[in-house]
Amino acid sequence: MTTEPSGTPGAKAESDSSVEVSLFEVHKKIQVRAVSGIFATWRWILVWFTQLLFYGLPWLTWNGRQSVLFDLAQRKFYIFGMVFWPQDVFFLAVLLIISAFALFLFTAVGGRLWCGYACPQTVYTEIFLWIEQKIEGDRNARMKLDAAPMSPRKAMLRGSRYAVWIAVAVWTGFTFVGYFTPIKVLWNELMVFSFGPWETFWIIFYSAFTYVFAGHLREQVCKYMCPYARFQGVMFDPDTLVITYDEERGEPRGPRKKSLDYKAQGKGDCVDCEICVQVCPTGIDIRKGLQYECIGCAACIDACDQVMDKMGYPKGLIRYSTENAIAKHWGWKDILGHVVRPRVIIYTAILSAVTLAWLWGLATKPVLRVDVIRDRATLAREVEGGLIENLYRLQVMNVSETAQRYSLSVVGLDKIEIAGEHTVEVPAAANKEILVQVRVPPESGKTGANVIHFDVKSLNDESVAVHEKATFLMPR
Amino acid sequence: MQRLLWVLWPSFIVAGVAEALFFTLINPQELYLFGEPVNFSTIATYSVGFLGFWSICAASSLFTCFLQRTPGEINGGGCGHPPASPAGNKTA
Ligand code: SF4
Ligand code: SF4
Repeated sequence: MTTEPSGTPGAKAESDSSVEVSLFEVHKKIQVRAVSGIFATWRWILVWFTQLLFYGLPWLTWNGRQSVLFDLAQRKFYIFGMVFWPQDVFFLAVLLIISAFALFLFTAVGGRLWCGYACPQTVYTEIFLWIEQKIEGDRNARMKLDAAPMSPRKAMLRGSRYAVWIAVAVWTGFTFVGYFTPIKVLWNELMVFSFGPWETFWIIFYSAFTYVFAGHLREQVCKYMCPYARFQGVMFDPDTLVITYDEERGEPRGPRKKSLDYKAQGKGDCVDCEICVQVCPTGIDIRKGLQYECIGCAACIDACDQVMDKMGYPKGLIRYSTENAIAKHWGWKDILGHVVRPRVIIYTAILSAVTLAWLWGLATKPVLRVDVIRDRATLAREVEGGLIENLYRLQVMNVSETAQRYSLSVVGLDKIEIAGEHTVEVPAAANKEILVQVRVPPESGKTGANVIHFDVKSLNDESVAVHEKATFLMPR
Repeated sequence: MQRLLWVLWPSFIVAGVAEALFFTLINPQELYLFGEPVNFSTIATYSVGFLGFWSICAASSLFTCFLQRTPGEINGGGCGHPPASPAGNKTA
């Protein structure tokens, strides 16, 4: 969507309204020029992919329940066929480690790929920008509108932009809460306007969060708030792919007539149109070199390539390259040849080891768990027949996807037995607490604590069994 | 406004972590408030918990902010030193 390259500097319309009330420092409002091109297309593909996933997943049903649901009320996380209990927090912790190492690896190889294409901050900003542009027009129109005094037309445009933003934000907030309380229940509540107070609170909270972050804070989040942006630099090395301006080729920059031989005039390839600056969501000039603010979105590459095309110059004045490649005039073959290096090997090794261990752990996750707690009220008592009885509370957790019947038995002392029910039925992915009376003749054990074991076995599946330790108290 | 965000944002993140840790280890139904079992809904407990963590963390951030000011700033006002020239910090 670039226009004819000309010498117009981008930041001309510097009226009062272009300075927003600053949150972190005096901040000039950045009006981003829309860009199209291969990298912009990739970003849109990822926007669609992540958002279809985000907005769609909670509506998907799996085994008769919401496919992905972090059911806080029941303290259970459902992810398709898997059910995670608070006891499984380990899997979550390891998943975080895996994500961290994946991020390290991607960053070391490809720079800020995450920021440029997948980070929610980028994705929502992209969506909000698109709305802004559809309603208020392109960059020039928006800057004019910013500068114009309030008028019915301006009020109308602003109003509709905010209205659409709010609609998207509220839908996002609703979806977000739908990951934590079943979304269909939420939807039915919405239809009759009967949200609980906390659901309302969180929907509004997350909507406001989205609205402010994607609508107003934008690049300031990356510059001042994001922890990743602060430390990504340490994962860079001279072989990391970054967005670079080829200074050697571009300088000395300057406007020129297309017909003239600019090389004869001693000029470089950069026509100084500043379009790369206008498309930059963080408002920097990539020609000044790699900067901390650059989120690697490649918008400047797309923009510059279009200018190069128009001028009939080869593309790639701004391109993905590495520090070494620019310095040593490497081509793609050399860049790829330098991907494998100690840092990358170490990250890959750790990443694959942890991922494998994690997958193995998931595959062998027990489908039955039993917690045995001694009843606190009664220690031991004598019952009919002179037997000694201890009471236990058994927490039987059926982690599998089907209802199960379990048999209960107890071993460890002579003539030890369970009084009453010997089986328990637990629905799929549920837990049941049962009170168990264990009886023993007094001569079977020593005074004080005796070690016993509960055996809980599935009647549906032989291989599912738990052998859980407990203590039996024998009074004097 | 600026100071407000310096206080609210880091505390928001830390509160999120604290909340996650606390409630994976502790079932809200097992909590006691003034000797009585907590009888709000789970969602209410989580929410109150989060807001509680957030305010505590925010109080800490606020205090940091408060102590961080140099004598000059106490005379003039302001918290911390937001990056003066972003173009100065380079990556790699
Ligand atoms: S800097 Fe942070 S917030 Fe910005 S795109 Fe990167 S990860 Fe996202
Ligand atoms: S300099 Fe280029 S790649 Fe970096 S943020 Fe700006 S437009 Fe995106």
